[in-house]
Amino acid sequence: MGKETEEIRKIKPGRPDWFWFLFPSLLLIVLFFFLPIVITLIISGTNMSSTTGFHAWKWVGLNNFRKIAILPETADHFWLTVKYVAVTLAFFNIGMALVVSIITTHISRGTGFFFRALWLLPRITPTVTYVMMWKFLGANAPYGVFNQLIIQPLGLAPQNWVAASSFLFIVLVNGYIGASFGMIIFTSAIEAIPKDITIASLVDGASMLQRIRYVILPYIKWPLLFVTTYQTLSLMTSFEQIMVLTDGQFNTEVWSLWAYHKALQNYWGNFQWGFGNALAAVLVVVGIILGIIYLRYFKFNELVQDPKIESL
Amino acid sequence: MKRLTFLIILLALPALIFAGGQKEKAKTTGPQTVTITVWAKANNVEHWRADAAVPAAKALNAELKKEGKNITVVVKPIYDNTPWGQYKNKFTMAADAGEGPDIICSGHEDVPVWAQAGYIIPLANSVSQIQGMYPEFGDVIDSLWNATMWHQKVWAVPQDTEARPMFFSKTNLKKMGWTDAQVKALPEKINSGQFTLSDLIKTAQEAIKKGVVKPGFGFWHRPKKGGDYIQFYVSYGGKVYDPVKDKLILDKNALLKWYQFQRKVVTTGITPKNYIGTEWKIWHDTVSHNNALFWNGGIWQWADWKTNYLNGDESILFKNVGYALIPSGIRGKEGNTLSHPLVYMVTTEKASGHKYRDLVIRLLAFMTTKEINTKHALQSTHLGILKSQMQYKPYLDAKFLSSVTYMLKHNWYQPNDSYYGQWFDIVWKGMTNAENGVKTPQAAVDLVVKEMKIELGDNVIIK
Repeated sequence: MGKETEEIRKIKPGRPDWFWFLFPSLLLIVLFFFLPIVITLIISGTNMSSTTGFHAWKWVGLNNFRKIAILPETADHFWLTVKYVAVTLAFFNIGMALVVSIITTHISRGTGFFFRALWLLPRITPTVTYVMMWKFLGANAPYGVFNQLIIQPLGLAPQNWVAASSFLFIVLVNGYIGASFGMIIFTSAIEAIPKDITIASLVDGASMLQRIRYVILPYIKWPLLFVTTYQTLSLMTSFEQIMVLTDGQFNTEVWSLWAYHKALQNYWGNFQWGFGNALAAVLVVVGIILGIIYLRYFKFNELVQDPKIESL
Repeated sequence: MKRLTFLIILLALPALIFAGGQKEKAKTTGPQTVTITVWAKANNVEHWRADAAVPAAKALNAELKKEGKNITVVVKPIYDNTPWGQYKNKFTMAADAGEGPDIICSGHEDVPVWAQAGYIIPLANSVSQIQGMYPEFGDVIDSLWNATMWHQKVWAVPQDTEARPMFFSKTNLKKMGWTDAQVKALPEKINSGQFTLSDLIKTAQEAIKKGVVKPGFGFWHRPKKGGDYIQFYVSYGGKVYDPVKDKLILDKNALLKWYQFQRKVVTTGITPKNYIGTEWKIWHDTVSHNNALFWNGGIWQWADWKTNYLNGDESILFKNVGYALIPSGIRGKEGNTLSHPLVYMVTTEKASGHKYRDLVIRLLAFMTTKEINTKHALQSTHLGILKSQMQYKPYLDAKFLSSVTYMLKHNWYQPNDSYYGQWFDIVWKGMTNAENGVKTPQAAVDLVVKEMKIELGDNVIIK
């Protein structure tokens, strides 16, 4: 097989077939991923704002980044974002997704399907409706469901729980949506594990935990890498649920929401595009660094090697 | 080669599609039709902000015909109710692309920002000049022009204005033992500084103690971000702007007292814990159904309560609800209220892609009549902007409006300073930190000062 490929390459020397094959996706990546990053970096070096418009701006070098470094609130936004991404990822987007997919692939197919469908509900509900449900769940008495059904009957003081437990709420609101993504990927990966392997582990007397640790997890390493990377970056940059829920109040202004507020949602309208883009540029850099770390940690190079069975 | 041709066609396709959006070319001879687009942010009871252009165009066309001019004005009024940030963003993008409207109705604070960006044109070099331009502009209440000035020029025409009172429940005060005369005298006592913010806290505490309102329902301030909060900073003697130096001001002492007040309303139990961020629906429902003792909002909310919460029965509001200025924090100092006039601005030829700016200004004059403006004022409970409205029967017959118009004598405007948005955001964040107990009022002030210095530098005077 290998030799044949070599021969074909020799017959048509230098012909970039791979180029045309990859061209559509390359075009998309350049247009919608690479160019926006370049534009973000360029704007972050300017003082562009509503006042300057898109024509009268000036280069300010690294001033915006200097400002980020010295602003007292920077550390708050940074650590909140780290905490939010780590907790949501660990408990929901990876943790809960794994639990749901393992359980639903080990019960009857119909029941598994039903529960997975239930987990999809938060994702398919429009964001505003979904978040409003959470808001009214935690709202102050006499409106909040939580206050009415649990807090007041217990004789405790009702309050606005979204504000009182704001961090928990942003994790829950995002986690319930995020879990379904990993759930779908992990479920299909688990179902793709060759039956002879799982049956062999059963015959060998492996416990459920041992099967998860030594059979399932190694087999779904690829999807795990993908979901972890994708969801980390997605949690870092998405803010719409938090915006609708608290609009960044009660210490919930994660980095991306901070960038959005600065660039596009200043209350009285003078948008700081330059500064907002500098904040976004920081996210881009952190995202790239995290991406590289993940690829190394999951030994990406080994995963993309030619299958050993075929190179024999 | 075929593939290359295909690729070229593929790349050229978007250019062909977008080439369709060509700019309007002005005809120089023969009958002309001029299309004037008006954008306004408005809900269904505020639609006259944009729709005022329709009767105005009719009147303008009649005038043009009388003058023998071969021009017909067609208007495109567009109103939408997206949040302010999105609305302003949409305009900025459109104006920069040369596809903005000819008239944009927005807050007066946008004047310095959009003037600097080159999106709007100055209308006159002085107030007297614009007053002499058209009789309709001469009819605008003099003080309102202050909100349209920037760098000694007039950049806009007022559209509406309002007051933001301290509302109170008359019936709940009476349940506490207040006499009719005492309740009636409250607005005047606030007006003259005899009833201060400290008295408000004490009265609300007493109401809770007597069981007239539930704990946490003594004072419900605005639940979400908004200019209203700065009224309390002003109540403690705070100044926002120095017109001589043309710079913003941050008064640390007034800021601290204001933050202490915001924290105190929570610690005394008259406002619920973690209250900021309460849904508007919950807020309207609570205050319109007489469940709070004091609450501060805007006069336009009166129409909302009547229409959406009380089945159109205004008599319930008159029976239960009283209104006054925002009390001072300093005894003997008069109360205040913030007015935030919306204004019409005329865009540049470049921003709109159209000529005929004179005709657009003339249309604006026809939009600024007592008949049209009163329709808007009545429907949306905003205050009139014209001197002639104060003698216009339909306006005078509106009991609520005519009873709050006096507040304009005690009002103040936010400054037309392009850094005000940043100033406000920093101060607002400090306030939420203080009220929610995340930081002590003093620590919140210290943080505000630090951030203000970094973000605004020399553009703010910190006292």
